[in-house]
Parts: sequence; structure tokens; C-alpha cells
Amino acid sequence: MSIRNTPTRWGHIAQFLHWLIVILIITQVILANIAEDLPIGPKKIEVYAWHKSVGITILCLAILRLLWRWANPTPELPSTLKPYERALAKVTHFGLYLLLFAQPLTGWMMTSARGFPVSWFGFLQLPDFVPKNKALYEAMKDTHDTLALVLYVIIFLHVAAALKHHFFLKDDVLRRMLPFTKKS
Amino acid sequence: MKLLVSSVVSLLVTSGAYAADAHYALDPAKSTLEYQFTQAGALNKGKFKKYTVTLDVAGDAPSKLDVVIEMGSLDTGDQERDDTLKTADLFSVAKFPQSRFTSTQITKTANGYDAVGKLTIRGVSKDVRVPFTFSAANGSLIGKVTIKRLDYGVGQGDWKATDQVGNDVAVTYALHLAAH
Repeated sequence: MSIRNTPTRWGHIAQFLHWLIVILIITQVILANIAEDLPIGPKKIEVYAWHKSVGITILCLAILRLLWRWANPTPELPSTLKPYERALAKVTHFGLYLLLFAQPLTGWMMTSARGFPVSWFGFLQLPDFVPKNKALYEAMKDTHDTLALVLYVIIFLHVAAALKHHFFLKDDVLRRMLPFTKKS
Repeated sequence: MKLLVSSVVSLLVTSGAYAADAHYALDPAKSTLEYQFTQAGALNKGKFKKYTVTLDVAGDAPSKLDVVIEMGSLDTGDQERDDTLKTADLFSVAKFPQSRFTSTQITKTANGYDAVGKLTIRGVSKDVRVPFTFSAANGSLIGKVTIKRLDYGVGQGDWKATDQVGNDVAVTYALHLAAH
């Protein structure tokens, strides 16, 4: 397997970015739920600070991922796919990429509109994305919460499709994104 | 001899009267009293909306500074955070509604003045040195002092931790005083 993608397989870099972002998204969901349930205090501030730092990390990784995708061949979808399946795959993947940007950005806007500046892991204070604005905060909070639900639905479709390819269609669509597997 | 003593006395009285104390009071509309603190690694700001400042000036030198801050008027731009700051574990505003600085001595420095005195926050008094510049011509009193919130017990229980809410608080004052 190579560093770069081939027309039939994702390379090391693409795989690494994919699975790293998977881990970070799971982390985000856990952190958000912990923070929400905590009473107001330093612990709540800390968990939200981690959530914001990881979110900004995902945003940076998403940019890298898109650049890498443009600089590499994209493995082709199996020729056995029906046109609607092909369209559904494209829409799902587009939605995932879109949310990799939309979630960090709405989160960043939400905290800036609230008037709480963001520091990336305590190393770097980010500029405020938007000026302080209560109505904008409320709108961004609703959007961020709603997009999280949309993300869950799209991830469900994405995982279901990957498992269908692997266990029912028995093709290499899942395997070509997995490290340590050989090309069938 | 008697004449000399009486001359000295009259000179002292006269010069004392000449260097009459001027009394300056705050013009709130033209003044700001702000503070900066770190929260979650980022710099956050707030201000006080109600406070009084008086400055006595002997000749052209400030001689006494007195500042009283209504802690209920703290404003960090977020209602939830303001309400939290007023609770018993932080400023405990219901029990300690005012903070106060009263100078015991004001000395001249290279750039302005140092007011040395007692700062009382949340019922705890500490000696602090408050540097400032003062212009009698336009009544501006400007400066900045950094204090540690935990010195005054601002942060009980979980709030004693300083990794998310920093111990250092920089207080900046740009005040306009008017002679009375």
C-alpha cells in the first residue's frame, strides 16, 4: 500500500486522516455530552475548552483532507452500483465533508457570539469569528445542535453502506479504507 | 525671637493655605474600570458599572485615593457568568457588596504616582501598590494593577483551581475626575 491514493485504494495518508477524524468525532460527542451535564464550574469550562480545541483540530484536518483528496486520485466506486446508489454515495460523502467544516465553524461562531474567546489547547488564542451577539449565539447554538443530529444520521448511512459492501456485496469498498488489509 | 516664631508660623499657615487641598470626584460617564482574566486559556474582559473614586490633591500632588466598587455592578458581558461570579464561592456579593481601596500614602514615581494602601475584596484586606498617572489639568487618572484573586478568597471549593480561571486579574482604570 502506498502513501498516496490509487484508483482502487486509499493510501496511508487518506486512511490516517479518515480514522483520526473518526476518533476525534467520537471524542467530540462524548465531551459535548459530559460538558452539558456538568454544573457550572471549572470542570465544565475545561471540558468545553477541550471540545472547542478538538473541534478546531478537526477543522484543520478537514482542510488537509480536502487538499489531499484534490491532489490524489479518488478510488472509484464499484461498477456494480446502480445510478441511485452512486448518487446516494456522492450525497452522503459530500454531506460528511460539509459537516466536517460546518460543525467546527458553527461551534466557533457560537462561542464567539456568546463572547467566550477560544484558545486552542491553551497554546493559541483564536480571533473571534463573529462579534458578540445574543441572537446570533442562539441561532448558532440551534444550528450546531441540529447539525449534530444530521451528522449522526449521515454517519449511520455511511457505516451501514460500508458494512453492506463488506458483508453482503463482499467487495473491497470497506477494506480499501482499512489499514493492514490486502487488496482482494 | 517672638517675632521670628510668629513669622514662621504665619508663613506655614500661609503656605498651607496656598497649597489648599483640592478634592476630586469621579465623572462616571467619562470613566472606565475594567479587568482582564484568563478563562479556558483565552483572555476575557469585564468592567464595573458602579463605583466611586475620590482623590485629594495637596498643591499639585495627589495625597489620598479612595475607591469604592459596587460588586453587584460587575459585567463580563454574559449574564450566566455574571450571576456565577456573584455567588458565595466567588465574590459573594450578597455578603460583601463592596470592594474598597484606601490609600495610606501616595509617593511620586518616575512616571506618575504609587498609591500604597489596603485593598479589600470579599472581606479580605491586603496591602497593594496602585500605580497611576494623574493630570490635574484634565483630571485624568490612568493606570493598571495586577492582583491575584485567590489572595482575597475569590474562588472557594472547585474555583480554587487556576488552570481554567487564572489567578491573575489585571485591573485597568481610565478615570476622569472633576475638582469640587
